[in-house]
Amino acid sequence: MRVIVGSRTHKGRAIALADVSAGAVVRAIREGGVDADEGSKPLVRIDCPSPGTVHDHVARLPPPTFDRRAALAAAARELGHTSSAWSELDAARADLAELSPPSVDVDAARRRVAEAGATEERLRERVAELRGRLRARREMGADTTAVEAQLDEAVTELSEAETERIAAEQALDRAESLAREARDRRERRLTLEDRVANLEREVRHDLATAVWDRFREALRAVPGTATAGATPGTYDGDPETAALAVARLAPLDAPVVVDGVDGFDGAAAAASTLSAPVIYIG
Amino acid sequence: MRSLPVPVGLGESYRHAETLLLVVTYSRAARTTLRNVCRTHEPTVIRGLGRAALFEETELGAFLALRLRAKHGDDVQIERTRPFNEFAAVRDEVRTAAEAYEDREKPSTPYAKFAASTDYPDPGAMRDVDL
Repeated sequence: MRVIVGSRTHKGRAIALADVSAGAVVRAIREGGVDADEGSKPLVRIDCPSPGTVHDHVARLPPPTFDRRAALAAAARELGHTSSAWSELDAARADLAELSPPSVDVDAARRRVAEAGATEERLRERVAELRGRLRARREMGADTTAVEAQLDEAVTELSEAETERIAAEQALDRAESLAREARDRRERRLTLEDRVANLEREVRHDLATAVWDRFREALRAVPGTATAGATPGTYDGDPETAALAVARLAPLDAPVVVDGVDGFDGAAAAASTLSAPVIYIG
Repeated sequence: MRSLPVPVGLGESYRHAETLLLVVTYSRAARTTLRNVCRTHEPTVIRGLGRAALFEETELGAFLALRLRAKHGDDVQIERTRPFNEFAAVRDEVRTAAEAYEDREKPSTPYAKFAASTDYPDPGAMRDVDL
């Protein structure tokens, strides 16, 4: 690997840098190894192999966050291990990608029924009120022409409102039955989502099992105190130590950036312990 | 105000039946949110049933259900349910048929065959009758 910082060029498998940030170096490695630390003083340029999937987990040590299971799975894949659930997982993912449930928009139909119902109710009350008024006027012997006209109009409106309400209810029934069919698809999708998640877990477990012994050995070789039992998942220690062990057991072509790990005495020692090219920020 | 006497045995249908909101989820994300809601709003959640739940029918219950729908759209189904009273809603024949069938001698007998030689209603007839 070749690292250029400003006007200075460094070469080798273990390089110590002083006045650059670990973040800038990680970025430079990730972006094809030719990127510059824009805006900051020294220009960083790194020529190195492009980082693999394990690198995502251990690019910087100690890592800001660390998903041990995912990192171990990535390391196991890099080492050529596989899982019997792999093809099933691929198939389930493909099925899931194909399944796009239609939208079940029943909102508009529900709103129409609610509005039609409210209108009908209002008109029914109006008709009752006008009938009452008409009766009262007849009993009084008063002129009923105006009230009769109002009542006729209200009755016509009520009849229209009833028609609309019935149409709205029928439309809602149709929308509901389409929604039910769409939910069958959603049901199927949920089952597939669960299946994909279970298979992913299974694959991760298989892969972690495949490298677990190497992981335990690596834990003994790296700085930090951590212990791991005979089966995957029985890890007792901090994420930093686990990350160092994963970096050691995985084949890494691109350099890892070591910045502030207790127990490493310089770039060469870190590169040797991690069995990886190292840029050491000191 | 004078209250009307309620006939014995039909109380359920006379009283305003307590309804509940049934919320059903159709994706992992919606299911997770529902579980969180169930954990944090215990008094409003009558029962959590995994990917579904029964909420109290209050404005808060409706608010929680609508919040789920606002977040997860079509992956959330909201229905209104009410308690089932078989004595008010179902005729005697259906109830006794259910009990008699569960009491049958041979577990392998399908209901249609069980009902054929008796007065119990046949499945086709029951299918066509709404409650």
